[in-house]
Amino acid sequence: MDSLLEQLDRFSEVLAVSRTTHVSTWDPATVRRALQWAGYLRHIHRRFGRHARIRKALEQRLQNQWKQEGDSGPAPAPDLANFQALGHCDQLLSLRLLANPALGDASFHCLLQQLFPGPGVPDAEEEALQGSLARFASCRAAAHMLRFHAYSENPVLQKDSVMKTQAELLLRRLHEVGEAEAEGPGRLLSRLWERLPQDNFLKVVAAALLLPQASPRLQEEELGVGSPKTPGDGRQELLRWLLGKSDIVVAFCRNLPAELLTSVVGRHPELSPVYLGLLTNWGRQLHYDLPKGLWIGTEPQDVPWEELFSRFQSLCQAPPPLKDEVLTALKSYKAQDGDFEVPGLSIWTDLLLALGSRV
Amino acid sequence: MAEDSAGLPSNYQFWMQKLSVWTQASTLETQRDICLHLPQFQEFLRRMYETLKEMDSNAIIERFPTICQLLAKSCWSPFILAYDESPKILIWCLCCLIKKDPQNSRESKLNSWTRRLLSHIVSTSRFDIKEVGLFNQVLGYAPTDYYPGLLKNMVLSLVSELRENHLNGFSSQRRMSPERVRSLSRICVPLLTLPDFEPLVEALLTYHGHEPQEVLCPEFFDAVNEAFLLKKISLPTSAILCLWLRHLPSLENTMLHLLEKLISSERNSLRRIKCFMKDSLLPEAAACHPAIFRVVDEIFRSALLETDGAPEVLAGLQVFTRCFVEALEKENKQLKFALKTYFPYASPALVMVLLQHPKDIPQGLWHQSLKHISEMLKEIVEDHGSYGGPFESWFLFVHFGGWADITAEQLLMSEAEAEPPEALLWLLAFSCSPGAGHQQRARTMVEVKTVLGCLTKLFRSPALSARDLQAAAGENLGGDPRPPACQQLVRRLLLHFLLWAPGGHTIAREVITLEQASLNFMVAVTVCSYFGAQENKICYCFHFFPYYLP
Repeated sequence: MDSLLEQLDRFSEVLAVSRTTHVSTWDPATVRRALQWAGYLRHIHRRFGRHARIRKALEQRLQNQWKQEGDSGPAPAPDLANFQALGHCDQLLSLRLLANPALGDASFHCLLQQLFPGPGVPDAEEEALQGSLARFASCRAAAHMLRFHAYSENPVLQKDSVMKTQAELLLRRLHEVGEAEAEGPGRLLSRLWERLPQDNFLKVVAAALLLPQASPRLQEEELGVGSPKTPGDGRQELLRWLLGKSDIVVAFCRNLPAELLTSVVGRHPELSPVYLGLLTNWGRQLHYDLPKGLWIGTEPQDVPWEELFSRFQSLCQAPPPLKDEVLTALKSYKAQDGDFEVPGLSIWTDLLLALGSRV
Repeated sequence: MAEDSAGLPSNYQFWMQKLSVWTQASTLETQRDICLHLPQFQEFLRRMYETLKEMDSNAIIERFPTICQLLAKSCWSPFILAYDESPKILIWCLCCLIKKDPQNSRESKLNSWTRRLLSHIVSTSRFDIKEVGLFNQVLGYAPTDYYPGLLKNMVLSLVSELRENHLNGFSSQRRMSPERVRSLSRICVPLLTLPDFEPLVEALLTYHGHEPQEVLCPEFFDAVNEAFLLKKISLPTSAILCLWLRHLPSLENTMLHLLEKLISSERNSLRRIKCFMKDSLLPEAAACHPAIFRVVDEIFRSALLETDGAPEVLAGLQVFTRCFVEALEKENKQLKFALKTYFPYASPALVMVLLQHPKDIPQGLWHQSLKHISEMLKEIVEDHGSYGGPFESWFLFVHFGGWADITAEQLLMSEAEAEPPEALLWLLAFSCSPGAGHQQRARTMVEVKTVLGCLTKLFRSPALSARDLQAAAGENLGGDPRPPACQQLVRRLLLHFLLWAPGGHTIAREVITLEQASLNFMVAVTVCSYFGAQENKICYCFHFFPYYLP
């Protein structure tokens, strides 16, 4: 068992090196050995997939890598992030070596001979790798074709294929990292927030929060190892993180479209006090301009009336209890302000008047 | 090999031109063109690889100076990269260009160019979706994790769009325009054999828009049918049914494919024929919709006419009919469509009797059914009734092979001294030569009666010898050679004798060796008629026929 874990560690190093210029020192024999090693680990994956104890031990070792966080900043994501990844570690190694220009010509030639032996190969293992690499090429070309020729972006964001896939991957990773360590997901999410374009990231977060409950790719269950946590956990981590970061939550509520937010808040009621609170604050920033007859803000970053209205409108079209909660809040604010029926005195009155027959 | 390399240069030029056109523009016309040519282009690549792998990379460049252009253009086309085995073959071709140790800068450059192209095919690619790359990098996912999932999601989303369209009609929020459906079907042509693609193919095949004309493009139907015949894709029967009903050429192709298998393969046994037939889904589809039955029937009829009643085709027809009847019975107890829709040119009474499986009738009553059939047929044939000429009647009769064989069996098993019933003799004569005139048939019947006389005597004799049998079969009136049709009939009786006589199987081998090999296929045809329990007995008797029996 220990030797197996050590093998795992060392192979992870090999995998990390395969991307660097250090491969220029690899001779054909090294390449062959590395591939054999990968094949061996793949065999391990197949053999012990259903063996809970060994699988758990391997999984933990791999997930330890996520914990490494130096002072110099977050470490890059590990290559073998979970047990599942062992299943195609040979693919991963092969793709990296193929793309690495630093690999010497003789070694590259040897690599090709190993990976693509040609038709009529008696060895099932080699045939599998050859086939899977070619199939991956087809798969990517197919996705491109569908996207380019047959795809139209779904206006309902959470149904958009690209968004959905990213969301699924995010949740999967959060779940795995969460198993290794409690603070893992939070750290990962912060890292993503720092490194990715924020708008895109927020959309993925929203899509993730809206994924249907039963995730179609429950790979843990597929392999028969009972996972103690449910797949919804990734979502819980996400929510917890979001609620813990006030600035991010503000950006979330501010930048995403009204319809999307309504869906998210409807599905996760923990968010509704935060959202409503923000809307209330934004509302209070506006004042009534008598000559123009409009509610306007003083600062450039204030949320304009139109946006505020459209958000409340969307919320009022949501099914109860959300709708009721919002209406109750609005009415109570109106009462606090003096319960006027005339426009121009309280923004809450005006909002209610504008929402009109819909309430 | 010599003829291959001779043909290769001209092919090469042809494909270079094609590729130039394909990479220049991406109009609907070029898309159609690419889709039409993908299988042939793949074949060409395969032959190129066979040539290239024998050559050194310098020799390759010398012989095919524009090879780099050819390969590069192929690699930039997503259609080619997505199709079947083309990316694999392209990779193999590129591998041939790599040199283990480049000697000069030119060879070095070629190496690095080839490596970049290889890398483009499998690793990095301009097909990547930009906004996703960084995301996955931080999360620690490789493209191999991401793309299969994305493809699956895209497929599912397209499937639900198509279904939505179907259900909601005009009121759907995300209505797919007919143009978009058509374009989608065209795009799917190269992608059919990818894993997880079947739901989309099925959704397209079962898609019914609101337009009067066909929305899907014909290349799509052709490609699906080809993939199905080559077993590269598996679809439910309902989808295949839609395919054949919407696109007649697919059904015709499937039939041709089946006939080819029946005729070209020498080692056809009962079980194999039944296997082909069931795999092809033709009987099931025919049971679901009479239009399909009619087309299949027509093709069998033409095939029989063209081949002068080749036994292989006959066997196919009989197996098809048997499977078809089984499928009908499985569907529901009463027929959804009247029998007349399946057999519009036949007498309904006759069809009803013929449809019965002999094993559903007690053996003692077989004689009666046969007599009935014989009388009905005789009336139709000799009175030139409204049910078509002798060929039509014969064609109908041979659908249900079991009856002819039971006739032979009944005749053999009858009492040695009794007169064989005329009706049965007539039926047997008719089944072997429907076109014979009244007089000729009468002569045949007399001939057969004589042979039967000898055979029935031998039937119950304890000690049989091959010689006896041959003598019985060989005799004829006046010593004239028998007409071929009559000879065939006698052989058939001989065969049945070997099958059913108590001592028959012991002398079977000897008899077969003495007679001609043409007896062999008749075994298969005969055996076709008897499905079920008796199969084992037959197998035992003829276990030394490796070719034709399981």
